[in-house]
Amino acid sequence: MSAVAVEGVWKYYGDYPALRDIQLEAAEGACLALIGRNGAGKTTLLRTIAGFSSAQRGKIKIFGREPREAEARRRMGFIGHGISVYDELSALENLTLFGKLYGLPDPKKSANEWLERTGLERVRNGLVREFSRGMRQRLAVARAFLHEPTVLLLDEPFTALDDRAIAVLQRLLREGLAARKTIVMSTHQLREALELATHVALLNRGQLAFHGARTQEMVDDPGYVYARYGEGA
Amino acid sequence: MKYFRQIATVAVKDVRAELRTKEAINASLAFALMILLLFSYTFDPEQEMMRQVSGGLLWIVFAFAGTLTLNRSFARELPNDCLDALIAAPIPGSALFLGKCFASFVLVLAVELVSLPVFGIFYRVHWTPQFPALFGVLLLGTWALTIIGTIFSALTVNIKLREVMLPMLTYPILMPALMSAMRLTTSLVNGQPIPEDDFAWLKMLIGFDLVFTAVSLALVETVLVG
Amino acid sequence: MLAALFDSSVWTALAAAAIAAIASILFLRSRNFLYDSLALAVSEIGLVLLAAGIVAGAIAGRLAGGFWWTWDARLTTALVGVLLYAPYLMLRRAIEEPTRRAASAAVVSIFALFDIPLIAVAVNWWLARRTVSLPLSTGWTILPVALLGAALASIRFRQEQQRRAQDAERRTAQEI
Repeated sequence: MSAVAVEGVWKYYGDYPALRDIQLEAAEGACLALIGRNGAGKTTLLRTIAGFSSAQRGKIKIFGREPREAEARRRMGFIGHGISVYDELSALENLTLFGKLYGLPDPKKSANEWLERTGLERVRNGLVREFSRGMRQRLAVARAFLHEPTVLLLDEPFTALDDRAIAVLQRLLREGLAARKTIVMSTHQLREALELATHVALLNRGQLAFHGARTQEMVDDPGYVYARYGEGA
Repeated sequence: MKYFRQIATVAVKDVRAELRTKEAINASLAFALMILLLFSYTFDPEQEMMRQVSGGLLWIVFAFAGTLTLNRSFARELPNDCLDALIAAPIPGSALFLGKCFASFVLVLAVELVSLPVFGIFYRVHWTPQFPALFGVLLLGTWALTIIGTIFSALTVNIKLREVMLPMLTYPILMPALMSAMRLTTSLVNGQPIPEDDFAWLKMLIGFDLVFTAVSLALVETVLVG
Repeated sequence: MLAALFDSSVWTALAAAAIAAIASILFLRSRNFLYDSLALAVSEIGLVLLAAGIVAGAIAGRLAGGFWWTWDARLTTALVGVLLYAPYLMLRRAIEEPTRRAASAAVVSIFALFDIPLIAVAVNWWLARRTVSLPLSTGWTILPVALLGAALASIRFRQEQQRRAQDAERRTAQEI
């Protein structure tokens, strides 16, 4: 059973197909880089996999379960465009809150652990609205990893991160892959993503133009996939 | 039970966040006091008519001021995309919804309990004799306001003109509950017990609460995920 | 005659509300936009007929008793009905994305239907002093009014389906 299976998925906005017959899989321990131009449907696909909206046709399976099932939700960690933490709560309060919602046995302890792992232990009681951009991003990462998800869905995670946050995220992703976590990551930052990726999928106007293993050519020339399989290829 | 703990987690989070910023509660309270003040220009507290309209006036104040708080209920999840994280968490949509309902309920009730003595002072109304019954009606009426306000707050969270659409949707649906609450409150707030005839209104109010709590819970997943 | 027209429009509007709510439930179950178009068409026409009926009822009241608005229980209930469904149409206009729009509108339609009996009873108690008398006549005028409603609704329905098809074509064309 694959970790993430997208089977013949069509997603419409009204009568307009934003995703057309998407067929892809990510095995356990794989890191899939989802690339494509703006508007190609990367965010739509990720959000549909995560269960934020439903596909009109086709199925999505997370370890064999529907995305909205509690067990699937427990296994997924999502980082979207927003940081998804509350400005008016402290870093510790935020993580403890999500720890409780995810049913962790000791939310406060897990929260403190992850504050340390993302280098935020000194500001644990500071309100998020006073954090710098990089600190907010690191807290977002902590929130996504807090409940030890086995599937990570990341929407352009490297965009707008400062160097420290990038380093933290890359370290955590590498550790995750070593621990057989599955990652599906949409990205514009081809270099950082392709370094980590085991597989690549190219979306073009809602359709899958390429889906396969990452090759050395791709790492050497990040524009390779676009040139070979993208529009005007 | 896990379910109730989940509801409590969401409710506590909302109340804590609101108490930190006090945005909704300050606006709500200021608005309530302002309406009470404005209406005092129209009504002479000496007049008998005042007694007749007191229930109506009070619930107009509660409903309008309450909407300010209810609007924030899901709107507070928009900055930073927090709503995504809440929907992604493995809690039932109904737990998220009820948590927010309870939080709003507490906040709106707080504003009401502050407005009541002010009302009593401005309009020289003796509301203490029947306070237990009055409090009961407050609870029932506020729950009606909260349940409808919260489900529509979730419905309208992402649309333009949210601040306009929420009251437009909420008040017409709320009418039977508001009418019941107004009728019951008029007697109680003047220190009179509910007359025999008016017990039907109490049933209407309770019925409204039950029906729409059920309908909201039945439709909550659709509203949250679409 | 005018009063009878008013009563007929109320019956038609009630039928419209029920059909809209059922169509809404069917939409939520099947996600077939046919039901959404149906709910929209029926709600719009129902609302228009109800509003026209209220005007007829008000005129009837004026001719009979001299006042434009008599706070008659039936007339007032009908007015609340208009206030209940006008936001439904406003909401549809406020949401761009078709699936979200249809789903949200469906929820409102269902809430509104559950509210109608409560409103009817509440207004009756309020105005007619707790004698739940809602004698709406069922004269011959019901048939023409209902048929008019059905005809207008089917025209509106077809119009909505066409608009939807055009939208889809337009968006597909934009890609190319």
